Amino acid sequence: MKSEENKVVKNTEQQNAPSLKEILKAEEAELKAKQKAEKLKKKQKVAYDINGKVIPDLNVKHVRGIESKKSWYGFYFVLPWIIGMVLFFIIPLINSLRYSFANVIPEEGYMQLDWVGLEHYVYLFKKDENFTTNLLGAVGDFFTSMPIVVIVSLILALILNSNFKGKTLFRGIFFVPVIVATGVVMMHLTDPFGGFGAIVQLSSSVTEDAYSAVGTSGGMDFTELLNSLELPTDITAWLSSMITDIFNTIWTCGIPVVLFIAGLQTIPAQLYEASKVEGATKWEEFWYITLPSIGQTLLLVIIFTLIELLTQTSNPVINQAYALINNTEYGISSAMLWVFFAIIGAIIGIVIFIYSKLCLKRWE
Amino acid sequence: MQATMSKADQRKLQKLKLKASRRDQYKRFTRSKGGNFFYTLFLILFGLFSVLPMYYCIITSFKPLDELLVFPPRFYVISPTVASYLTLPSLLDNLAVPLSRYAFNSIFVSVVTTFFHVLVGSAAAYVLAKTNIKGKTVIFAVVQMSLLYNAYTLEIPRYLIYSGLGMIDTYWAYILPMIPSSMGVFLMKQFMESNVPDALIEAAKIDGAGSFRTFWQIAMPNVKPAWLTLTLFSFRDLWSIQPGGTIFSEELKTLPFAASTIAQSGIARQGCAMAVTVIMMIPPILVYLVTQRSVTQTMSSSGIK
Repeated sequence: MKSEENKVVKNTEQQNAPSLKEILKAEEAELKAKQKAEKLKKKQKVAYDINGKVIPDLNVKHVRGIESKKSWYGFYFVLPWIIGMVLFFIIPLINSLRYSFANVIPEEGYMQLDWVGLEHYVYLFKKDENFTTNLLGAVGDFFTSMPIVVIVSLILALILNSNFKGKTLFRGIFFVPVIVATGVVMMHLTDPFGGFGAIVQLSSSVTEDAYSAVGTSGGMDFTELLNSLELPTDITAWLSSMITDIFNTIWTCGIPVVLFIAGLQTIPAQLYEASKVEGATKWEEFWYITLPSIGQTLLLVIIFTLIELLTQTSNPVINQAYALINNTEYGISSAMLWVFFAIIGAIIGIVIFIYSKLCLKRWE
Repeated sequence: MQATMSKADQRKLQKLKLKASRRDQYKRFTRSKGGNFFYTLFLILFGLFSVLPMYYCIITSFKPLDELLVFPPRFYVISPTVASYLTLPSLLDNLAVPLSRYAFNSIFVSVVTTFFHVLVGSAAAYVLAKTNIKGKTVIFAVVQMSLLYNAYTLEIPRYLIYSGLGMIDTYWAYILPMIPSSMGVFLMKQFMESNVPDALIEAAKIDGAGSFRTFWQIAMPNVKPAWLTLTLFSFRDLWSIQPGGTIFSEELKTLPFAASTIAQSGIARQGCAMAVTVIMMIPPILVYLVTQRSVTQTMSSSGIK
């Protein structure tokens, strides 16, 4: 029975097919006409109320929805930045990724690429002995100096945030070096005899993170100063390395201190008053009020410090990559930097994950 | 009695009260003398390390030649002179271009780039913080990612783009690449999210302000500390900008380049090198002093998410 019915339906369909199509066409045309009319309505910039009547006096822009308008303008607002970002960051980034899979031969105005696949990456890990040691050194350095920087700057911020005479002066003392010590000024502070390395001359942006060079060469030559004291050589060496370390730490601490102070200032004073009434010690106050309150700031500082430590010029991996660039080995250096950045990304990811699991959750 | 109390007396009373309350505040520094002592020691020790290089630099710039070459170097001057500063112009005569040209280049590049960087960064941040455009999350992800990359690691592919755009050996090579730096967008976005209430923007729209007007007259004044801070950071970076491989003609080079040429002229010129360093330090410090009050305020907002 069913099949018969189907047949009947099919037959009728076949018979009515042209008319059905016509109906469909007509419907489509109607729809189009409606859409056109709507478009026209929109173009006319006239506002309508629910019944489709024209509202004469209202400003049309607002009736058509602030959100759509905003997002359209938003595009114009963000456009200059996007153009710049694509030109000077994203295209170079993609190109450097392409270089890492190829042998790069510089030609006039462009780069000749001979694809070699993963060869550079394999070379880095299997043949280049320096790379793995440098990589481990960089990561190891980071794990020893990051906690020091974070703890020292937290202590400094705690002190600078309390009320005492001359706190503005001391804040200035810790912040002015951050402002002043860039580029040539930093170079002169540390190395007045003009021992500019080839790396520094090659790129202006290198100088941005030259803090690390403090005390390591020239400048106020502490090693020689210490030598003149005629102490045993072991002690001299130890002292000079320690002084260098202290300098490195202090000059990296500038921005973290400012961040911490800012975080500390947002803790409501009532919390401390309450804890005082309850009879908490300063120590308890720190662990139960201060630290949990600046949890987010602490995370921000950790990330800032991490980026600063891992991308500064004194970093052995960056140094090695730069030497390679000077030898026009663009392929290998790109591969090297990509490996390094992948590791930085992974470290930051892990740090954020562990931190938010262990600390932030508990403090909340 | 109180009604008859003269205005001067009232002011005195207020002052006394204020003093008393301040004294209380200072007392809360720590609760023990030992703690106080430790804090002060820590501050002074670290403060010393922080200012020592700058102090040494300033001192050295005032040393006469015979004191410069004393070993071990002294941290004080016996007979200070300004000879180092006075010889600077004659030293620079040897350079192909007058000093004023270098100074003009530096100031021009710093001011123009800082202005456009702050403007472009704030506009982008305003959109990211306060509207719902498509791809907002993608854009912000790019911002965060680009924070991780050190600019000079991309120098080679960038150079190709510079040459493709014909920017080599023009002012554009300084200015254009620095404008879309992501630090500005990041800082401004964090600040705008918490400091520009949505209600304010809606109110502005309803009152008939356009998008640009809302941004310029409503959002920006509300985040003044933020863009002042950004100005400071940006100026600080740009003031130290040196021609990399992108500038070749002498008239387009900046002050740091001139300063480094002086520094390379030998140990006997150490005083001059220090003098030029001291001069180089002044503009950023001036900008710092102007914007100083706003800085800590801004940092607090970008720290809290």
